[in-house]
Amino acid sequence: MKNTTSYEYIKELLSKGSREDGRKSNDFRKYTIEKGTMPNAEGSATVNLGYTRVIAGVKVVLGSPMKDRPNEGNMAMSAELLPLASPDFETGPPSPEAIELARVVDRGIRAANIIDLPKLFIEEEKVWDVYTDLYVLNFDGNLFDACTLAATTAILSARMPKYENEQVIREGNLGKLPLTGNMVTSCTFGSVAGNMILDMNANEESFASARLTIANDENVVRAMQKGLEGSFTEKEVADMLEVTFEKSKELRKSINNSIGE
Amino acid sequence: MSSSQEKPQLIVDGKRLDGRAFEELRPISIKTNVIRNAAGSAYIEWGTNKILAAVYGPTEALPKHTADPERAVIKCRYMMAPFSSLEDHGRTGPNRRAIEISKVTKEVFENVVLLENFPGTEINIYVEVLQSDGGTRAAGVTAAAVAMASSGIPMSDVPFGVSIGKIGDTLVVDLNKIEDNYSDADMPMVIGPKQGNLLLLQMDGNLTKEEVTSAISLAKKAGEVISKLQSDALKEPYLKTLEKYKNEAPSQQGNKE
Amino acid sequence: MQRIVIPGEKLEDKSLRIEGTIIENGKTYSTLMSSYDDEKKILIPLEGLWYPISGDTIIGRIQEDKFNVYIVDLQAPYRGLIFSKDSNEEFVAGDIIEATVKEMDKTKTVILGRPRRLTGGKLLYVKPSKIPRILGRGNNMIKQLTAKTGTRVTVGMNGIIWIKDGKVDLTTEAINMIQEEAHTNGLTNRVMSLLEMGV
Repeated sequence: MKNTTSYEYIKELLSKGSREDGRKSNDFRKYTIEKGTMPNAEGSATVNLGYTRVIAGVKVVLGSPMKDRPNEGNMAMSAELLPLASPDFETGPPSPEAIELARVVDRGIRAANIIDLPKLFIEEEKVWDVYTDLYVLNFDGNLFDACTLAATTAILSARMPKYENEQVIREGNLGKLPLTGNMVTSCTFGSVAGNMILDMNANEESFASARLTIANDENVVRAMQKGLEGSFTEKEVADMLEVTFEKSKELRKSINNSIGE
Repeated sequence: MSSSQEKPQLIVDGKRLDGRAFEELRPISIKTNVIRNAAGSAYIEWGTNKILAAVYGPTEALPKHTADPERAVIKCRYMMAPFSSLEDHGRTGPNRRAIEISKVTKEVFENVVLLENFPGTEINIYVEVLQSDGGTRAAGVTAAAVAMASSGIPMSDVPFGVSIGKIGDTLVVDLNKIEDNYSDADMPMVIGPKQGNLLLLQMDGNLTKEEVTSAISLAKKAGEVISKLQSDALKEPYLKTLEKYKNEAPSQQGNKE
Repeated sequence: MQRIVIPGEKLEDKSLRIEGTIIENGKTYSTLMSSYDDEKKILIPLEGLWYPISGDTIIGRIQEDKFNVYIVDLQAPYRGLIFSKDSNEEFVAGDIIEATVKEMDKTKTVILGRPRRLTGGKLLYVKPSKIPRILGRGNNMIKQLTAKTGTRVTVGMNGIIWIKDGKVDLTTEAINMIQEEAHTNGLTNRVMSLLEMGV
């Protein structure tokens, strides 16, 4: 029994242009981004979005290149919906929800070319692999945007190990993970009782008929994912794109503030 | 650790590498109510270990064959995040080490939780190690005990964990990662402070009979500090509001208005 | 003198049979986070789960509609059960209901009676140990709360509260205040001034 509010109540509020926590339809909840929360990882960030809390941890490790890209390093993303985060998350292998989450966050970051993968080449058959793990510590909806914020911040603030005399050196004076200077954020909308709302909490998500995540940088859309059984009209998608480009300015600023650049 | 090299000098001028005395714990801080969705939760920073513990339940035990009609069953998952160590990316999912630690942790709580109050149910304990620097099972149980107490599930005691090690001929309290890697013995323990009974006891390396006995008393001594920190963390939220309103007269419920 | 105790903390050097304690070697220990009055020998649990008593009002969600019974999720270590014959209404899974505890059977299933559907409104989850304080002596706290906010409120002893109409947010705020400050002095006055300000 996770809903603290009935559908009728949410619907009534939305019809008056309001939401449970007093937000308007296109408002994010209060959020905080903190980098470097897990210093053993090369990069890390903790994001609180309302009561949703996630950590992204980046490890940079020795690997071998893909056959079709012999001169580039690799990136990989995975997500854990930890059973400690919600009574609805279960132990066991990653659920389809966790896999979708990791893949959508991965697509945005990959498409925006945030990591300079060719610079991760070390020598023939030796490259750096960048693993980003998304850890959901408390669930109250909108994991997509919280995880994209955490992953982007963790990657942008990651340090780079050194490879010397066939040894990986992870401590001491290290440089930064090679980056292209790009950045990506996302905005996730839901359709609840016929209303389009940004940044749903868990209650609202439980009543959403359709969901759309839009990941973008300053200029272009980088990834999208529609979810759930409902649908969107062309006009609704256009409206959501409009809001996304507007809202993402603030998100990018927050990331920059948190990494201190 | 980085390849085979010879053993580093772990004790220099009577001090350990991080400057601690032999019987000195690393700095520990504990906070309760950190996971909003859980019945009880705690966050512990123990040295540079960072660990979250949460308790859910009691709820109906599922699948049904796991239920015990006489008492609650405890299920426990201890895990290390793949980014928790300074070394390589860890594997995801529980390995044999994590499964063993989950089991011995579960057994600690089977001892102290009043299981017979909730027949047919399960209580879930989750310990997630977000950053590790040695001694995570002891720190994890310490945090989980606080999470359990804060959940309102009745317990006979709030146990603490600590590890005692041997470096050369010296017994030391609370091994960190590098000490753990090169020590001559490691003996993690969980103790119920009320009677001083051992609820978890593991050991590897070499210890004489006398050293085992000394290690237990060292653990109990360190436990006085840890138990106090657990108790303070549990009481803190109530004491704060009590203090704030201590000068007000008791509520006269049911009067005029 | 009132003191806060943790599970396993000694209350008395002698054996004292009161709820929420265990006795070992003739000494009495708390089993819960509690507030203990050494003089009056009163133990008030600060955290704790709900133990159903016949006559308790509960709020729950219909989990399953079986042949002649409804299974009710009570957010508790026990599940609720309503025999269709005890109900004047028909329910479907997901319905929020108010009901009264008839008895707890041997399998720790809570048999419920007089079910009533609650439509709309907001559900608030609180710690069951705080419910007595939220109700107040003779239900006085909750009576004043609803009078001042114009809300309709049903308090489930299992820690679920249903609020509808009137000032829902103000009511929520007041209940949260009671929940967090349940063990302090002067609470009633503070709740009343919160309501005055909000009105």
